[in-house]
Amino acid sequence: MRGSSQLPLSRRRFIGAAVAGALTLAAGIAVVRTRGYGLRAGVRLAAMTPWQYVVVEHAARRITAPDRPGDASVPSADDVGVAAFVDAWMVRMPARVRRDLGRFLAYVEHVAPLSAGFAARFTHLDPVSQDRVLGRIESSSYDLLRAGFDGLKSLVFIGYYRDARTWGLLGYDGPLVGRPPGGWR
Amino acid sequence: MSGGVIRGRDLAQDLALRVDAVVVGTGAGGSMALRELARAGLDVVALEEGGVLASRDFDQREDRMLPLLFQDAGGRATEDMAIRVLQGRGVGGSTVHNTNLCKRTPDAVLDLWARKFGVAGAGVAEMRDAFETVERDLSISEMDPAMRNANNDALKRGCDALGWRGGPLRHNRVGCQQSGFCELGCAYDAKQNAIKVLVPQAVTAGARVYADVQVERVLHEGGRATGVHGVALDAAGLPVSRVEVWAPIVVLAGSAVGSAALARKSGLPDPHGQMGRGLRLHPGAVVAGRFDGAIAGWRGIPQSYECTELLSHEEGSDKRVWIVPAFAHPIGAAATLPGFGAAHMAAMRSYPNLAVLTAMVHDETSGEVDVDGDGRPVLRYRMSEGDRQQLARGLVGGARLLFAAGAREVTIPAIPPLRMTRASEIDALDLSTVRPHSVPLTAVHPMGTMRMGGDPASSVVGSTGEHHHVRGVFVADGGLFPTSIGVPPQVSIYAFALHLAPHMVERARRG
Repeated sequence: MRGSSQLPLSRRRFIGAAVAGALTLAAGIAVVRTRGYGLRAGVRLAAMTPWQYVVVEHAARRITAPDRPGDASVPSADDVGVAAFVDAWMVRMPARVRRDLGRFLAYVEHVAPLSAGFAARFTHLDPVSQDRVLGRIESSSYDLLRAGFDGLKSLVFIGYYRDARTWGLLGYDGPLVGRPPGGWR
Repeated sequence: MSGGVIRGRDLAQDLALRVDAVVVGTGAGGSMALRELARAGLDVVALEEGGVLASRDFDQREDRMLPLLFQDAGGRATEDMAIRVLQGRGVGGSTVHNTNLCKRTPDAVLDLWARKFGVAGAGVAEMRDAFETVERDLSISEMDPAMRNANNDALKRGCDALGWRGGPLRHNRVGCQQSGFCELGCAYDAKQNAIKVLVPQAVTAGARVYADVQVERVLHEGGRATGVHGVALDAAGLPVSRVEVWAPIVVLAGSAVGSAALARKSGLPDPHGQMGRGLRLHPGAVVAGRFDGAIAGWRGIPQSYECTELLSHEEGSDKRVWIVPAFAHPIGAAATLPGFGAAHMAAMRSYPNLAVLTAMVHDETSGEVDVDGDGRPVLRYRMSEGDRQQLARGLVGGARLLFAAGAREVTIPAIPPLRMTRASEIDALDLSTVRPHSVPLTAVHPMGTMRMGGDPASSVVGSTGEHHHVRGVFVADGGLFPTSIGVPPQVSIYAFALHLAPHMVERARRG
């Protein structure tokens, strides 16, 4: 009886220690992996954490990557401040949406690279690898991931194409209001 | 105070009122009910969650208008994020941002409601006066062909070339400058909508309208409505004061989403579990054609021509898709075009040469509006296979129309994109990818969550619009409709609110 009672206790202790160890390790990884995200001078965040902001910054550069590299007439995501815009935009969104975005950004940063065959986090990858990661998310067999990518893409494009400097590449002439009477004619 | 509307943020202290009736929401249904109740001599108040905007506020910028005009800054979606649901907020509701499409509830739909759902007194003949009044009040008329822009012309050319049924649409616009920014609010005050026509008439008749007031609960006791509780919000959407309105008549007109969510939060009796169920959305997706010549689809009236070849409102029809032009401004277009990065930007350079059509499904899918732990609406909607097939059929139809109109290339923005350079390629398409989470889906017409009907076991309100189990609670928005209506709903909502208003007045007088 004694021996049989010791074995489960030992097993429970082992399992408990293993779980505690795993949690500590996960917490440690989480702490380490949410550090080292430097913000550019002057950036003040309203809704996102620094690491979330940096992930958006990297994703925005790839989502709005130019088709004609070197074309100075096309501004970059950094030029028009896409990440800062997304941060400000998220302030107005319901808590549930902000929470979902945070989870999705964590997936982009930490999990998606692994599933694409990269050991490094998303923000440490080169642009070609980042495109590969984003492409895999966009065409994922998991609807939720596709939806997350669609949401991020929409946010980035609001931040990008709101800027009049991007309209030239579209041939778009902007709002009519404020122009002389006669409209488009 | 702005245009007779009191801003909740300007309230210096808590507000407590005792009136004959309170209307929650000021879109098509709420504004009409408000006017009719005020004209009947009732002391009536409307509470609107959003702000009050005027034509000078509409600067035609997507990034600035989306947060002002739409719920969740245009980011509202079904719970699984498969369908973006664009819903208005603010005085005037969705009539501020809609594209002015005016169609009556189809006769076949009204017949179906009477026959199958026991809706009494709302047949074709009985609704005629209401429709005519709405059409007169809102100056509804057929669009002049001279005002048809290139995107709409492409649809007409396609219809003509294929011999498909199509025709001009009717709108509620007077003095239109054809700017093309209807979905961002009219800077020229040309929309003859709730905020321009009905709210001022209601205020003139004695109604009071409070903007920035979020109703949190409908109060009821012993099977009777007693009023509403809410909060006034500041510019940041934070509560600044309490609002209590005590009234024996409460008109829910906050949309099929808002009204159902409020009814559920309020714990209105629902022995048969009907409140919030039956959600219809009219989900739609787009197909884009690239032309050699310029289209510049952002210029001019967005939707002035329709194709009804694939649409019948008869029960059981296998034609349930409506095709209309659907051009978007840059942000909307960028979000809809497939892909990202260099390929996406290359596609965006074709923006001036694109004609875009949308296929909107007259849906049979039945979804649900619930509330989450924060009291916010949750929309559950899983598109049925039948509706998915209709969507695919509509997008294929749109592709045929665009090729017939002269498009060089046609794209259905699925993942991966379905691209065609000849009409003959359409038949070889793998349409299994035309499904939620693969094509961007948008819905702008929530309906059906507070359904009218003769049987309390299968409906929420009776044919008078009054709640089956709470005397004095009425519904006056798209939630009333027992089924999808298959046409833009604003005229139907205005007309049903007008049609039901006498019942509200009678209840107020008789108790």
